Amino acid sequence: MSFLHINNVHKRFGETHVLKGIDIAIEQGDFLVLVGPSGCGKSTLLNMIAGLDSISEGELLLDGRCINDVHPSRRDIAMVFQSYALYPSMTVAGNIGFGLEMRKVPRKQRREAIDRVAKLLQIENLLDRKPGQLSGGQRQRVAMGRALVRDPQLFLFDEPLSNLDAKLRVDMRTEIKQLHQRLGTTIVYVTHDQIEAMTLASRIAVMRGGELQQLGTPQAVYDDPNNLFVAGFMGSPSMNLVKARIVEQDGLPVAQVATEASTLTLPIVRDRDALRDWRDRDVILGLRPEAITDPASANHREGNIHEAELPVALVEPTGADLYVVTTLGGTHVNARMRPGTPLRPGERTRFAFDVSRMVVFDPESERRIRDERVAEATPIGETA
Amino acid sequence: MSNASPEQDGGARERLQRWLPKLVLSPSCVLVLFFVYGFIAWTSYISFSDSGMMPDYTWVGLHQWSRLWTSWTWGIALHNIWVFGLLYIISCIVLGLILAILLDQRIRAEGVLRTIYLYPMALSFIVTGTAWQWFLNPGLGLEKTMHDLGWQSFSFNWLIDSNMAIYTVVIAAVWQATGFVMAMFLAGLRGIDGEMIKAAQIDGAPAWKIYARIIIPQLRPVFLSAVVVLAHLAIKSFDLIVAMTGGGPGNATAVPATFMYSYAFSRNEMGIAAASAVFMLAVIAALIIPYLYSELREPRS
Ligand SMILES: Nc1ncnc2c1ncn2[C@@H]1O[C@H](COP(=O)(O)OP(=O)(O)OP(=O)(O)O)[C@@H](O)[C@H]1O
Ligand SMILES: [Mg+2]
Repeated sequence: MSFLHINNVHKRFGETHVLKGIDIAIEQGDFLVLVGPSGCGKSTLLNMIAGLDSISEGELLLDGRCINDVHPSRRDIAMVFQSYALYPSMTVAGNIGFGLEMRKVPRKQRREAIDRVAKLLQIENLLDRKPGQLSGGQRQRVAMGRALVRDPQLFLFDEPLSNLDAKLRVDMRTEIKQLHQRLGTTIVYVTHDQIEAMTLASRIAVMRGGELQQLGTPQAVYDDPNNLFVAGFMGSPSMNLVKARIVEQDGLPVAQVATEASTLTLPIVRDRDALRDWRDRDVILGLRPEAITDPASANHREGNIHEAELPVALVEPTGADLYVVTTLGGTHVNARMRPGTPLRPGERTRFAFDVSRMVVFDPESERRIRDERVAEATPIGETA
Repeated sequence: MSNASPEQDGGARERLQRWLPKLVLSPSCVLVLFFVYGFIAWTSYISFSDSGMMPDYTWVGLHQWSRLWTSWTWGIALHNIWVFGLLYIISCIVLGLILAILLDQRIRAEGVLRTIYLYPMALSFIVTGTAWQWFLNPGLGLEKTMHDLGWQSFSFNWLIDSNMAIYTVVIAAVWQATGFVMAMFLAGLRGIDGEMIKAAQIDGAPAWKIYARIIIPQLRPVFLSAVVVLAHLAIKSFDLIVAMTGGGPGNATAVPATFMYSYAFSRNEMGIAAASAVFMLAVIAALIIPYLYSELREPRS
């Protein structure tokens, strides 16, 4: 039995069907991140776990207990809100201790719990201040303190970092991750920042329009997306999606992609069985920018490298990497190359395609075309 | 020398531009200065003069002021304004807050109810006073209706009972201002972050504690505004009382405003009336000026 089990949960606000049957199960100690575009129902799902929104249909199990009709305060959960939702008329200590006070914890014990959490979050010197006298980052800490002090079974975070500036966000992200590793708590965390999702999660649930698109480890969601939406949503810069045609060559399926002047033929090593049926049909290829590089930086040991000479359309140095843009199948394609590679637009250079990381999608249904056997999370290279 | 003149021209135009707005505004400034501050000064002077029926500019020092403070009617007026003001402010705030909290429960027909509650504020005091005077008049209103309906023993004659008349004025004034106070509180309640209430629910606070500990403390600025607005309405509550009770029965509902009016225009004691007017102005100023000062300053800090 999993620790938190969201079983076919629906949410309707009158006529609008906001969540259309969500199924998610996580284990104790998991860090589940819900990602998806704005309005896809992440906050709604979180509020339902918290008990702040009713469940229209389905079942919510926490530690084997159905909590559909349990009051928020008795679910043994704590929540950190996007706006922090600190009580402005109380001091920081009052804010952190309010939940304990409502649960009639004696003053002395309360004080000890507040001090313990304040020490953990390094806000001991702020305990007597009011929230109005704190900076954004400090408020964020107090909001976390309020959640941590009660030592609940489950933590819920609704975009807790989205009101912080970029640098503080990265710092707090690291801190949340450390906190999770130190305390081993179970967390459900909502964000629409996919970098936050990748770095924090032990499991990611990608949602769109009230439907779960994929649930898996960050690596699985990144390398083995279920559909075009997940492929395009996760990763920055995002996955290159290129129109291609599957043809048979020497009894094996290959993908043909139109370049500016000629046709590029890429061998297919992944999901080969499924793609046999796609002979002479159009598909969409998905290739991460890091799966297209210069021959010297290509991963010849684990990958399956196919080289081709193509014209350079644009060069974008970022410092750490050099993104080289070429045109494949009528769209611009980002390739990640070693910085300092002397390239100029209009030149031709050799691109190395790691076809073992190439994924193929059905352009109509937008679903992945994959072998039945490896439908579960596939480590990279195994199919090669 | 020849190229000095365009500079002078430019300087003149600049000076004109600088002075033009002031020139345009100055007539209204002069009018305000004269009719408001001029008459305040004049009234203040009269309160130190020997004026009776007509203004008399003989300086008599604090004579009128001491007569005012030894006057028995003034004592009653002050006592009445205390009773009236306190009851009025407290009732309006308590009722307004309760109504606002009830309306804030996202009930249906909220818009209609809000308008109904707010509507009395659109009436002038004189209309409110007259209407309530009819309604509470034993020979015309509530009591007579009850008698006509067959409830012969019903009696409600506070309006003509000198011990109770002041409370009828309170009832009418509260009826008029409660909706307005409710609207102020409702705006305050709507400004409260919904996530904070969710957080308090998760923290396990029951609804009344969420209001008592989290929401109402945040409405402090609204309380302050309500008290200041109501306090100055209470002191200015001249027309309501004139329309309802005329200060009577006897002096039972006399307040400083009616005191001032009757001394100035029927008792021919302009000096005492002026002293009482200056006193009321001072009290209102003491309430309003610090409030306006803090309100107008706030955005900058
Ligand atoms: N009380 C409500 N009544 C009707 N519709 C609602 C209500 N609350 C939310 N919705 C709708 O449900 C959908 C999901 O909302 P939700 O707040 O869960 O989105 P989200 O994924 O958290 O988005 P964001 O990233 O912008 O926070 C939205 O389309 C929203 O309009
Ligand atoms: Mg949201």
